[in-house]
Amino acid sequence: MPRPTWSRALCVGLLIGTFPSLPLHAEEIRSESMLANTCAGCHGTLGASAGEVMPTIGGLDKGYLVEVLTDYKTGRRPSTIMGRIMLGYGDQEINAIASFYAAQPWVSTDRVAVADQLAEAPALHERYCESCHQDGGRSQDKESPRMAGQWAGYLQYAMQACRDGERCHPRKMRNRVADLSDAEIAALAHFYESQK
Amino acid sequence: MNTLTRRNFLQSSLLSTAAVLGGPSLAVHAATPPKARVVVIGGGYGGTIAAKYLQMSDPEIRVTLIEKDSAYVSCPLSNEVLGGERDLASLTFDYRGLTRRGIAVMQDTVVEIDPVQHFVTGASGNRYNYDKLIVSPGVDYDWAAIEGMSEAVAEKIPHAWKAGKQTQILRRQLEAMEDGGVFYIVAPPNPFRCPPGPYERAAQVAHYFSTHKPKSKIVILDAKDAFSKQALFQAGWEEHYGDMIEWVSGAQGGIIEAIDPETRTLMGSFEEFKGDVINLIPHQKAGALAQTAGLANESGWCPVDQRTFESSIHKDIHVIGDACIAGAMPKSGYSANSQGKVCAAAIVAAINGEAAPAPSYVNTCYSIIAPEHGISVAGVYRLEDGRIVDIPGAGGVSPADADARTRALEQQFALDWFRNITSDMFT
Ligand SMILES: Cc1cc2nc3c(=O)[nH]c(=O)nc-3n(C[C@H](O)[C@H](O)[C@H](O)COP(=O)(O)OP(=O)(O)OC[C@H]3O[C@@H](n4cnc5c(N)ncnc54)[C@H](O)[C@@H]3O)c2cc1C
Repeated sequence: MPRPTWSRALCVGLLIGTFPSLPLHAEEIRSESMLANTCAGCHGTLGASAGEVMPTIGGLDKGYLVEVLTDYKTGRRPSTIMGRIMLGYGDQEINAIASFYAAQPWVSTDRVAVADQLAEAPALHERYCESCHQDGGRSQDKESPRMAGQWAGYLQYAMQACRDGERCHPRKMRNRVADLSDAEIAALAHFYESQK
Repeated sequence: MNTLTRRNFLQSSLLSTAAVLGGPSLAVHAATPPKARVVVIGGGYGGTIAAKYLQMSDPEIRVTLIEKDSAYVSCPLSNEVLGGERDLASLTFDYRGLTRRGIAVMQDTVVEIDPVQHFVTGASGNRYNYDKLIVSPGVDYDWAAIEGMSEAVAEKIPHAWKAGKQTQILRRQLEAMEDGGVFYIVAPPNPFRCPPGPYERAAQVAHYFSTHKPKSKIVILDAKDAFSKQALFQAGWEEHYGDMIEWVSGAQGGIIEAIDPETRTLMGSFEEFKGDVINLIPHQKAGALAQTAGLANESGWCPVDQRTFESSIHKDIHVIGDACIAGAMPKSGYSANSQGKVCAAAIVAAINGEAAPAPSYVNTCYSIIAPEHGISVAGVYRLEDGRIVDIPGAGGVSPADADARTRALEQQFALDWFRNITSDMFT
């Protein structure tokens, strides 16, 4: 297989003026599946997580995935381990990983609702979340990931971390969760988990 | 053995004793000839993944997985069994999920590989023909490295470095030990399976001792002068278990040369150590099959083309997981998983007449120091001049000053890591 030399890669980078967005090492282009399958050891085959705090990523919006993965890399989105891992990928590679997972079917958890956890959840959903997370949390776009059928453990962690000022994506989420108690967050998390 | 006798031998073994695990699969009975036959030996962290990802990316390939046991017991999280936090049943998996995918899963022990005629022979007498072979047999032990050690002695002085019966033996000895006893862990030289494993084990056993036998001590006698995630482990040991755990480096006399199993005495280069319970983790090498099949070199491990994991010794045979020499990657379950995928992609490409794709590899290993305290190490790798190398700046260990929430989260991620990697393997 012919390998572009460093000098050629450098030229391309200089010519098109997008050096930072080339793969970190321009020798060879790694395919979407080659890059993305390495994530499955933690996020499940094709991104369908087996739980609990580890989110399902297969079937999420591509724009959302690109932003989140990039923010991990730059440190804008604090993390335990994702930041360290994403530093190993160039922008094109992040784009490839996001494309791969966005193209996978969404697989909801098989968890069902536990009635007493949920009593107040539909009202909370309407009041705080629905303007962005429509259709019971099934809708999604670059700023609002799908929540229906996501693991409650992850949702709970994500909402708490945002409320406590650790990380919010997007920032305006903060206002929405700022006044929620732990119990309300738990109720919402289980509500979304049980939506399929 | 010439071909003729081999054929006779095989005919006489038509009533084979090899069991098909989880019922017959589609692939076994497929009427149309397959595009190619790939045989995978070893249904652990590497082999299951190679088989599954081959089947997923090209269903026209007939994939056969040969595993000697009817169920797999995971080493990852087996230190938690020693700590009393979980049982072996929670680490045990069967192969039905892979059978459902159309992989022919055979329970058989491969005793011979014929690299020239492209077939392997099982202890059942069955013969399995292949176009491409993947070998992921894990590790075996170099008993001769410590005088007085042997496989038989390991029934009394367990290694617990393969999960299952060995884990149980060690757990029972720890349960039977009196409070105030000394537990020795003999840690092996590099390279070996799971570099952080002995040190996580010390923490897990300390967790058990501190609630049940608080006057006891744990001493790690190490062949090495440094170890994986060392600073994080040592800080964590001290924080949670005070001075219960002591680490003796090789230079300080931790190298063990001999053992007297009767008196449970370890002979070091300077001193002798008499223990109440001894966990001797032996020096390691590629699994026995890799040795008998001539896939290992003088190092005891298997040299491979690190792009495809094809053996540098035998064509059309690929070696993955602990058994292979994989550049900067440690011998871990996650590495084996990642290698299985790269290897599967290379084989699918070869079968379809394409060039081997550019590889990507990752490793992620968690260790649990205490119930709310997890730590991790990650590595992201690429191929450079034929060798797997770390991508500079990426990966590394958890920060030393992580707050309580981060540590608790990492402990949860350790458990989720296990849920997900085993679902990647077995569903
Ligand atoms: C205490 C401990 C803790 C660990 N914790 C972690 C961790 O947290 N994270 C991590 O990533 N790694 C961990 N590991 C390492 C991990 O267990 C290994 O790296 C991993 O199992 C390697 O996979 P493998 O496929 O090479 O071998 P294995 O998983 O051992 O699989 C080999 C399989 O081949 C079969 N086999 C062997 N010979 C034959 C034959 N001739 N015929 C048929 N079948 C055969 C065996 O029965 C076995 O099922 C740990 C290891 C230990 C000991």
